[in-house]
Amino acid sequence: MVALDPTLIMNVLLIAISGTLVCIAVHFIPVGGAPAAMAQATGIGTGTVELAAGSGLVGLITASYMYANEPAASMALVLAAGAMGSMIMIASTMFAGSLIYAYGVGVPFASAQIKKDPFTGARQDLYMSKGTQGQGLPTVCFVSGIIGAALGGAGGGLIYFVLVQLYSQSALIGTSAAAVAGVFTMGVFYVNAVIPSYGVGGTIEGFHDPKFRRVLPKDAVTSFIVSLICGVVAVFIGGGLL
Amino acid sequence: MVLDLTMSMAILALMGALATIAGCLEDLESDVGSQSNPNSQVQLAPQMNFLHRIYNKAISGEPISNGLSAVTGGIVATVLLDAKFFPLIAIVIGAFVAAVIYGIFATTSYAGRVASQTRFKQPLYMDIMRYTTPSIIAHNFIVAFCLVAIAYIQYTLLGYPFTIPFLALIWGISVGAIGSSVGDVHYGGEREFQNREFGCGLNTALSGRIVRRAESGLRNSIDNVWFCAKFGGPATGIGLGLTVFFSSWPTTIWGYTWAAIGVGIAIVAVFVVLNRLIEYQVKNAYGPYKEEKNEKEAVAVAHTH
Amino acid sequence: MSDIKEISPNNLALFGIIGGLVGIYVSPLFPPYTPTLGALGAICAVIWSAEAVRRVAKYGLGTGVPSIGQIAMGMGIVAAMFGLAIVTAFPGATMAGPVVALITASVIGFIIGWFAQNVIKMKIPVMIRCMTEIAAAGSLVIIGFSVAVAGNFEFSNIIAMVFDNGVMLAVFWVGAMAMLHPFNACLGPDERQKRLLYLAGSTGAITMAIMGIAAIMTLGTSGVITLILGIILWLIFYKKFWDEVYKDSAAVVGTGLIPKTEA
Repeated sequence: MVALDPTLIMNVLLIAISGTLVCIAVHFIPVGGAPAAMAQATGIGTGTVELAAGSGLVGLITASYMYANEPAASMALVLAAGAMGSMIMIASTMFAGSLIYAYGVGVPFASAQIKKDPFTGARQDLYMSKGTQGQGLPTVCFVSGIIGAALGGAGGGLIYFVLVQLYSQSALIGTSAAAVAGVFTMGVFYVNAVIPSYGVGGTIEGFHDPKFRRVLPKDAVTSFIVSLICGVVAVFIGGGLL
Repeated sequence: MVLDLTMSMAILALMGALATIAGCLEDLESDVGSQSNPNSQVQLAPQMNFLHRIYNKAISGEPISNGLSAVTGGIVATVLLDAKFFPLIAIVIGAFVAAVIYGIFATTSYAGRVASQTRFKQPLYMDIMRYTTPSIIAHNFIVAFCLVAIAYIQYTLLGYPFTIPFLALIWGISVGAIGSSVGDVHYGGEREFQNREFGCGLNTALSGRIVRRAESGLRNSIDNVWFCAKFGGPATGIGLGLTVFFSSWPTTIWGYTWAAIGVGIAIVAVFVVLNRLIEYQVKNAYGPYKEEKNEKEAVAVAHTH
Repeated sequence: MSDIKEISPNNLALFGIIGGLVGIYVSPLFPPYTPTLGALGAICAVIWSAEAVRRVAKYGLGTGVPSIGQIAMGMGIVAAMFGLAIVTAFPGATMAGPVVALITASVIGFIIGWFAQNVIKMKIPVMIRCMTEIAAAGSLVIIGFSVAVAGNFEFSNIIAMVFDNGVMLAVFWVGAMAMLHPFNACLGPDERQKRLLYLAGSTGAITMAIMGIAAIMTLGTSGVITLILGIILWLIFYKKFWDEVYKDSAAVVGTGLIPKTEA
């Protein structure tokens, strides 16, 4: 083993941070699981993992395309491209979902966790139907989801950016850097999307949910350590194998 | 950029159209087989003594199952393209193989889930199996075709760094995520509980008490898709179409710069405002479920007098 | 339903590990006939992991069964790439690749399981063991199916034949589906192990058939063998699964009204 190269350590840390970003992102996305699909809970009516993955991977597409077209692009630009793709995906999803809640199911939007929306000041508790945990996507959830998507897309973009740079210098896999980095990103992404889902137990309303503060630290620690291991592994795969 | 602006906009429009069709059909396909979150009610119904004639397509969550069909279509198309097939034929054959495999998974999940509900006496209806499965395959064929076509366009014409199966997989995951977030609510929140008052806000106590009778006879999954095609499906299509279109539009026009990112963020801000407008309008139109507390007390006081 | 005899998890784990490794190690020996054995080994691992998914998902994960298949493949792919890549640094150690991958996957799985149990506090007693098993099986599934497409498990060869053309994504996704679908499709109070394992065989064989199609592109003849064998195996397992369905269901009827119940 050669002496530890600071850039390698940097890369490992960046991967760990991006994994943690993905993990934090999942907490921001308002997901109500099966109850939300019946308009019995606030948030998007699907599972945490898949929505985070769906948006994050759209971010991966935009980030990778940005990097492919502008190889000289700064890290911030690639990350921003990833965040933008993710945000657009989740915004249009939530908007289309809102159309259904509003005109297909006919329920006013209400959050079960707060009395007043911090952005609009609109009352929430009065609009909550009996026997439910709120319904639809009030503005606070919408904004929270967009923040989450931005973090997730940036996280996915960051893993990809680090790995594709690392692997393109590798003798072994240099010509296939994008393919290997893409697959690896997906693996790390999924691991980090599932861990927080177990933490939140499948549903969370966004950053205003009391659950957010309760579970975020332990999920983030778990994700950081797991991503750190993934980072070490990733560097071993590409970095001339020390 | 290899293409000029007009051509890239044309391709982008084509991709948006394909995505809209894929999104719409994906949602209808999940209704025809009853999948994902609303399916929890179909699964629960026999336990509540609500035996039914609805398909139970618990392949997995929608993003995973659609990812499966998209990636299978992508692989088969790649193999055929490698064998110098004409692209359109390669994509069609790929989508067909994917849809048939998807159909196989659908049959095992219906049979498996019903066989695991023996104690509730839920029968396995073979006629439902026979005429719903081809419909599932048909819907999924269109979805897989559109997604593999998008992946092919992105890989071949636009030069994305990922391969066709990779891009198809990502769009498959996205279409599933959008379908289960958007269209499923129409199926789960309205169609399964259509006998309840519109906009009543479904009490959790109603869980599993789904509608089992149709306009004529017993309801099956084909009846559900007829209903959801009116709103849930198209809304899902809009969701995916907007995603595909707007995720590429800023960079197509403004290039790979910070300006494009700024435009993207502006689009997101517009979505926030639109959502707020819907929220505002709906709250005003429908009104609250409960009155303000002190008003309630006032009413109570009035009653005692 | 506890009076029905079940195959013990230990036996299935042994079956998966030994079957998987033997399949992977034998596959490069006599091309073009043996690469298909990699896929057969992967089916052993699929059956093992389906049982592991079944044991852990019975507790209710809060976010659906599929998530566990996703995390398994996420861990499996990271570990598989590491195992196969790291041995290239040591001349003559290529043979150790799959075993290194298996061990790495187990370690990552153990760590995630430990965190899920002790930090996230999921309170699922079998969490650590099952997470380890699922990750290990995930790595074997990935390597097994990759070998069936690439012909051997040299990293550079796998990169050229499995990563560059995107087949890896199918291995990743269809493999995950093969692992999680059996329990997801058999979920319910009267779920039975035998039916689930036949279904795992069926989903594994479908994956094998898809790998066969991919292998026609990369290996030619060998791919045809994998495809045909995959379809035959699928027919057998699918038939067996349906036999169990007919045996287990309350009633299998051609058509009919809803039976009268108290409600």
